[in-house]
Amino acid sequence: MAGEARQSGRELARVESGPSAALPSQMADLPKDELEALAETFGIDPTCHRTRQALVAAIHDRRQMIAGLDREAMLDVVRWARRPVSISATREALAHEIALVRSMRFAGLSQRGLIVLARMRGLRVTDDEQVPILIKQLKKQEGVFTKLNRKRRALLGSIVSNMIGEDEETYQYVPPGPGAAGQASGPSATHPPREASIKEDIEESGIFGGIAGRIKKSADQYLNRKLDEIESRIDRKLDEIDHRLAEWRDKEIANRIRILKITLWASVIVSLMSLIYLYLKQTFGW
Amino acid sequence: MPRIDLFNFFRYTLAWVATIYATVITVQSLWGWYVWLMGRDKYIGMLRRYVIVQGLRLKFSTFWGDVLVCLLLSVTFCILWRAHHLMWDIGEALNGW
Repeated sequence: MAGEARQSGRELARVESGPSAALPSQMADLPKDELEALAETFGIDPTCHRTRQALVAAIHDRRQMIAGLDREAMLDVVRWARRPVSISATREALAHEIALVRSMRFAGLSQRGLIVLARMRGLRVTDDEQVPILIKQLKKQEGVFTKLNRKRRALLGSIVSNMIGEDEETYQYVPPGPGAAGQASGPSATHPPREASIKEDIEESGIFGGIAGRIKKSADQYLNRKLDEIESRIDRKLDEIDHRLAEWRDKEIANRIRILKITLWASVIVSLMSLIYLYLKQTFGW
Repeated sequence: MPRIDLFNFFRYTLAWVATIYATVITVQSLWGWYVWLMGRDKYIGMLRRYVIVQGLRLKFSTFWGDVLVCLLLSVTFCILWRAHHLMWDIGEALNGW
């Protein structure tokens, strides 16, 4: 176990860069607000740790725990939560995104993803924990006030969703069969990630955050579509240029060959004339 | 006083002048292209690769008719050249008799 932790520490030191890569001794020197911000990026509630040393130790433990997580399971979580992360992101970068996930709707998340999410939310779970137990523990860990706030946001989300007229049913996929959530590959490996409704966005991030996120997502989609269009237009133009160049090349070669042919015809005609001239000269003795 | 055959004089002069001119122009052009395409610039490198690709994409079937005609004309020219030599040999033999 200690060996694993050492290995994890080495791995972290290798892959990390930036302020979050600070060693525990360096972390202790950080200002309080920076240390608390760092703790929050790792999904740690700084108010739960009274002293600076306890917070530093908690961050250190969390980083070691992150280094030991299954990367594929972490990718399951970011896919499920629709977080914008590159496929080559480090474990720590993935953990930062997972720490921002507040959703309590676990449909579509694999068992290994649930384990990662539970561990990132501070729960102590084993690798072979069953899905219903994991969900139960996550809901239990949420807390009464947080749950109430979430319900309030969900209500607001429903109202906004009804006002806008978004049909939630259009975003639902066929639910996975019984036991599918407990498979190692998880539903995310076989089904595309489900689009979040505005209700879910508001429930997760609040009314302004949800709507802002929605607008941002729409703007991103619009930009991506436009970029794709521009890219395809450039591709078409390049193909056209290539085609024209090929035509020009063929025409140029055909011209050169024609000039060569004319020259050869002239040479043959002149040599034929010369032969006739030579024959006449030798026959008639000119 | 040497006897100059005007027709032969014209033929040989034209052949030499045209051959030298065409050779010089062709070598000059090829050297210019070679120097330009051997440039160190990034875009020249891209262009060099593109020219190679264009060359590889070239289909012989597009020009095979003209190429065949050129080959046949070349063969004809060689045969006529050989006929000249034969004619000279016959002339020398007849004059010798």
